[in-house]
Amino acid sequence: MQLNHTPGHIKHSGHNLTGFVIFLCSESIIFLAFFAGFTLFKLTSPEWLPPGVEGLEVRMPLINTVVLVSSSFVAYFAERYLHKGNLWGFRIVWFITMLMGAYFVYGQYVEWSSLEFGLGSGVFGGTFYLLTGFHGLHVITGIGLMGLMLYHSFRPGNYEKGDMGVTAVSLFWHFVDVIWIILFVLIYVWQRY
Amino acid sequence: MTTTTNNKSPNVGAIVIIAVAVALNLVLAVLMARWSYSWFPPQASSAAPYVDDLFALETGIGSFLWFGLTGVIGWTLLFNRAPKYDESYGEPIEGNNRLEITWTVIPTVIVFAIAIYSMQVNDKLDALGPKQKYALGTDPATVAAVDPRATVGPIDVIARQWSWEFIYPDGVRSSELHLPINQRVNFRLISEDVNHSFYVPAFRLKQDIIPGSVISYSLTPTREGRFRLRDAMFSGAYFSQNQTDVIVESDEAYSSWLKATAKQPLQPGLSPGSDLYAKRLANGDKGWATVPPAPAPLVNDPGDASIPHDA
Amino acid sequence: MTSTKFDPRILKAPHPVPGAPDNWKRFFSFNTDAKVIGIQYIATSLLFLLVGGLLAMIVRGELITPPADLVDPTVYNGLYTMHGTVMLFLFLFPVLNGLNNLLIPTMIGAPDMAFPRLNAAAFWLVPVFAVLLMGSFFLPGGPAQAGWWSYPPISIQNPMGLFFNGEQLWLLAVALSGISSIFGAINFVTTIVRMRAPGMGFFKMPLYCWTAWGAQIIQLIGLPALTGGAIMLLFDLSFGTSFFRPEGGGDPVLYQHFFWFYSHPAVYVMVLPVFGIFSEVFTCYARKPLFGYKFVALASFGIVFLSLIVWVHHMFYTGTPNWMRILFMFTTMTIAVPTGVKVFAWVATLWGGKLRLTTPMLFCLGGLINFIFAGITGVMLGTVPIDIHVGNTYFVVAHFHYVIFNAIVLGVFAAVYHWFPKFTGHMYYEGLGKLHFALTFIGCTLNWLPLHWAGLLGMPRRVASYDPEFAIWNVIASIGAFMLGVAAIPFILNMVSSWARGPQSPPNPWGAIGLEWLLPSPPPAENFEDDVPTVINNPYGYGLGEPQVADEEYYIRRAQEA
Ligand code: HEA
Ligand code: HEA
Ligand code: CUA
Ligand SMILES: [Cu+2]
Repeated sequence: MQLNHTPGHIKHSGHNLTGFVIFLCSESIIFLAFFAGFTLFKLTSPEWLPPGVEGLEVRMPLINTVVLVSSSFVAYFAERYLHKGNLWGFRIVWFITMLMGAYFVYGQYVEWSSLEFGLGSGVFGGTFYLLTGFHGLHVITGIGLMGLMLYHSFRPGNYEKGDMGVTAVSLFWHFVDVIWIILFVLIYVWQRY
Repeated sequence: MTTTTNNKSPNVGAIVIIAVAVALNLVLAVLMARWSYSWFPPQASSAAPYVDDLFALETGIGSFLWFGLTGVIGWTLLFNRAPKYDESYGEPIEGNNRLEITWTVIPTVIVFAIAIYSMQVNDKLDALGPKQKYALGTDPATVAAVDPRATVGPIDVIARQWSWEFIYPDGVRSSELHLPINQRVNFRLISEDVNHSFYVPAFRLKQDIIPGSVISYSLTPTREGRFRLRDAMFSGAYFSQNQTDVIVESDEAYSSWLKATAKQPLQPGLSPGSDLYAKRLANGDKGWATVPPAPAPLVNDPGDASIPHDA
Repeated sequence: MTSTKFDPRILKAPHPVPGAPDNWKRFFSFNTDAKVIGIQYIATSLLFLLVGGLLAMIVRGELITPPADLVDPTVYNGLYTMHGTVMLFLFLFPVLNGLNNLLIPTMIGAPDMAFPRLNAAAFWLVPVFAVLLMGSFFLPGGPAQAGWWSYPPISIQNPMGLFFNGEQLWLLAVALSGISSIFGAINFVTTIVRMRAPGMGFFKMPLYCWTAWGAQIIQLIGLPALTGGAIMLLFDLSFGTSFFRPEGGGDPVLYQHFFWFYSHPAVYVMVLPVFGIFSEVFTCYARKPLFGYKFVALASFGIVFLSLIVWVHHMFYTGTPNWMRILFMFTTMTIAVPTGVKVFAWVATLWGGKLRLTTPMLFCLGGLINFIFAGITGVMLGTVPIDIHVGNTYFVVAHFHYVIFNAIVLGVFAAVYHWFPKFTGHMYYEGLGKLHFALTFIGCTLNWLPLHWAGLLGMPRRVASYDPEFAIWNVIASIGAFMLGVAAIPFILNMVSSWARGPQSPPNPWGAIGLEWLLPSPPPAENFEDDVPTVINNPYGYGLGEPQVADEEYYIRRAQEA
């Protein structure tokens, strides 16, 4: 039989990244919804800051921001090491990224515990904790995923089918980063009005 | 189009059939549009005639489309059926760009025409004033802008779970809404608990009442009578009972009502939810959870729920 | 390809294998085969159609007389809330995902979905949130009673003050349903984009896949917004925030924007696949190509785009400023244009065809004329002055049941009948099918046509009691509704008995064109496996005499031999 039947089974692994990118796009819309809500409240609330609250301290969060944003670049270098086949280089730099993420979470914790308003303090308190909390959850998830990738990197033959997992996690990390930048501008920078 | 040759010589029979069908459909559409006026309660505000005209126009266009398309489908059911065991195909037409353009452009024109007309009608209704937020607990009367063109009002309309209270500028309180005919009335719509809606079908007007905001709303009643005011935004257990009457009366009747009522002492007004809730408690509080009704408002004129309404 | 004594695919059981005895257990396991999952979805959702229908029967029983005499008003509120929720989240979305699972891989020649395990996880979330939702009936305060919109502040009043309450379970269930739908959407979109058969460019793809694709993109964009709103509502309800609580400076109207930003597009998630079903069924039983295939395909994405920018038409009277009402009136009206392109194309497809009035064809014809009707009342609602009068009345309820039941559910029934032989391997009984259609069509017309007049006269929706002037319309409606209840009997009878002992179905009982009809009935575990046909022509080539795929004869023979 001279049939021209192309093998139909396109391998699954190729789809994973597609699926993950679709997921991230979708996920970003939750944040968009929260940002829209925050902006609307900020613009229309009859009273915005809860009584006794002057505003937010910016210096500490700014340091946090710098750490988180630079960790994105660090993650990128880790990926570069992996592509070049330098496994230990990858592991070390990847671990540094994780540490930077952990520092960010710690900074958040310190900030939260020093604030004199709570979740129930009007729409300001609500949106503040909702946004930073939801984002923090993503950072923690990101660190967890990075840990998983680090663990996998010790498995023999782990990269035979490509390093899709690492690419996806680092994409996720960049995503979490970009979200934070918007969040920082909205919550901390845009306080003056 | 039932024959394949109609591109070359015009098929007179087909053209006649189509012309007759379109004409019949037009007649039907006009009849439907006329008939549609009878589907509404009486027109009791200056807004009502505009709304009914717009609806009649849309009914006409809609009927023409629906009868037309259903007619064509009916035709294919009658004349394009495959005989039993006929496995053959229909004529394999794959499309026609000119038709596609036609049925993109014509509906576009129709819907934009309707939208522009609706915009004008909406200007005519001219009911919705500004909505202003205020902090619950403060006095809403201090924030609401008043409609300068209104000659009556502002009347505060206070909706609660589940009662209505109307407070007139001179302090008269009532459970039923009395309005003088042919004057523009301004309301301040206020709710202290949940969403409600100020809806009088005979006026063709509806506006939700949002807690935390005062909404300025105006209308002109044009027909005397007793009309139903229905809460139209779901508000909990006794929502369906949260209704009262609007009484549109002559200027004289209205002013004498105001005068007479001002002398009445405050007394509990209509609060249908409270009665039902009391009955429920008496029967052992069966059913699912509900907040208890707000206490009946204290009013000068408690109204009378037993008088039948006109619409 | 030498013939073997036994079919090697038998080794891959538990999967449906042509000729091998059926293995029922696979439907109750964490099976990753899209065809099993599809049937799991459809069976589960039909069960919940029965549940939602039962709730509707009680609602209509209450409404057959003006006073609230059958159930307590609070119970009525819980019943219609749960009716709407069950019908949407436990019937309509799952049944469409079931069809997606059956149809997308087979239609595009893929062996399975892109992520089979994610697919199974998405399905198994359905029973989880079904249990949550049904369980809320047994809470001390009863289930959620704030309507399927769950608008605050009514939804966060929490009268008993208990931490666990019906509203909370409702929110959790809706959130889980959203997660399940997102899993599904990622899967369907990836599958359609990445796993089409060789030669199947987007413009050679069946319309069902186009519409499912569009619908799933809406899910991906809209659902997260609803999730955001639901999280905030849950916080207000259970953790003392005041996003939507006016006492704390919150804004109840903001929730409405979150809700409708998703829930308006969601109505097109429900209707788009049915547009796909119409396109498949009309071409097949009119024996003609689809009129203007490319326009119909592209119109789907016109609808997707427009659906995202019209949501405020549900809020014309909630305090929306005038400029916004006018803006959204215009966007709403434009939706009639791409939808019209589709409607006219179907009518042109029927024109001059060789119509065969099988059960699926009847359901689609009935669904189409009802859809045109519903679309026209939709356009009426889209004009601000009319909506100000009829909004939140039975006119709206009638409008959307005309789409949701009288068009969409009829389309779903059509799909169930049309593809029944393909995926069960058995023919259904035409007589019972036609009886089901007749009862359904008459019942649904009696049920929903009269209620338009009740709405125009000013009967609000969500009322347990009403003024006597509306009684006549409600009596007719309730009779129609009970007729729909009766219509379930021939349907259930037909499905159960046909599957158990209906005559064997050939691979292509309808003489239909499409990759799925080149497979045996039921298709084997991995559909075409490594032998995927190369698509060379457009779909719906009825009467053109061109094969859809290269070596079509070979595939037809192979399917028949299996
Ligand atoms: C499920 C499917 C579905 C579909 C497809 C639609 C389709 C449409 N709907 Fe509907 N709608 C609902 C489900 C649906 N709706 C639901 C569930 C609600 C209420 C929810 C709730 O409140 O609980 C609702 C409520 C609703 C409202 C809010 C009413 C209110 O609460 O006050 C409005 C207002 O604009 C509206 C409009 C429309 C329009 C313009 C369309 C259009 O898409 C229709 C387009 C189709 C056509 C127009 C017909 C075919 C076209 C032609 C033949 C071309 C020529 C036509 C013209 C020139 C007019 N719908
Ligand atoms: C998919 C969506 C869907 C469907 C199909 C239906 C179907 C029906 N609905 Fe409705 N309905 C809604 C979604 C739906 N509904 C929504 C969203 C609301 C708004 C809620 C709110 O306001 O918050 C609503 C509200 C609503 C109301 C208004 C309540 C009120 O405002 O007070 C009413 C009243 O008549 C009603 C009645 C009915 C009836 C009689 C049917 C009938 O058509 C039902 C007929 C079906 C059956 C009787 C079951 C038959 C079963 C089978 C054929 C299955 C076979 C089974 C197996 C093989 C196992 N519904
Ligand atoms: Cu296997 Cu994609
Ligand atoms: Cu909508």
